[in-house]
Amino acid sequence: MKSLRTALKLLADGGINFVIVGGFAAVARGSLQITQDLDICYERTPENLRRLANVLAPYHPRLRAAPQDVPFVFDERTLTQGMNFTLETDLGDIDLLGELSGVGQFSEVVRDAISLPLFGESYRIASLETVIRSKRAAGRPKDLNSLPELEAMKELSDKQLKNKAKG
Amino acid sequence: MTREEQEYLYNLVQNPPPGSKIEAAKKYGVDLTLNLRRLAMTPTERVQEMESASELVQELQRAAAALKK
Repeated sequence: MKSLRTALKLLADGGINFVIVGGFAAVARGSLQITQDLDICYERTPENLRRLANVLAPYHPRLRAAPQDVPFVFDERTLTQGMNFTLETDLGDIDLLGELSGVGQFSEVVRDAISLPLFGESYRIASLETVIRSKRAAGRPKDLNSLPELEAMKELSDKQLKNKAKG
Repeated sequence: MTREEQEYLYNLVQNPPPGSKIEAAKKYGVDLTLNLRRLAMTPTERVQEMESASELVQELQRAAAALKK
């Protein structure tokens, strides 16, 4: 898990445009979920794909839980031809999402993301609204089970902002 | 988060408006006081606490797997 911090720093230092999404984003925003992987939504420009491939390739990305003999080359071409990748790397499990279900691609996800300080760096983290929409769209029992907490947190946050504005 | 903000949120959690998402979460079994405690932390502290919990869960899973053998 702590290696995922290294992954985050590498991605940022590599100049990659991405937003932290999923459980990690929910936790950074106060959720009690426990997550083992890092989900990011990345921008699908040729330059960003090239950078992403260069930064992660040294950490041997492979398709998570796929049989060893399934051929997989992690490079710019593969990223261009695919969209969402669930990877196991030397740094931990990382999901690279070109498109977030229920939300859209990077341009949609980044719209209401905010930068938060994390481990001494600043990272763009998806809004609770985006996390909620993606989890609802994913529709797996574990995603749906997390909705009551996330929706309550969003309501608390909205009410807090309103109350603050009232002064 | 200021003390006033903490108090405001605490009161909302203790007395959620009827029909609200906060009320629904409480009925679902979510202990939102834990979330309030997390919200008082920095994002880094929140992730660090999750990491500790995650390590504990993994340790328990390993222990459970060892028992089955």
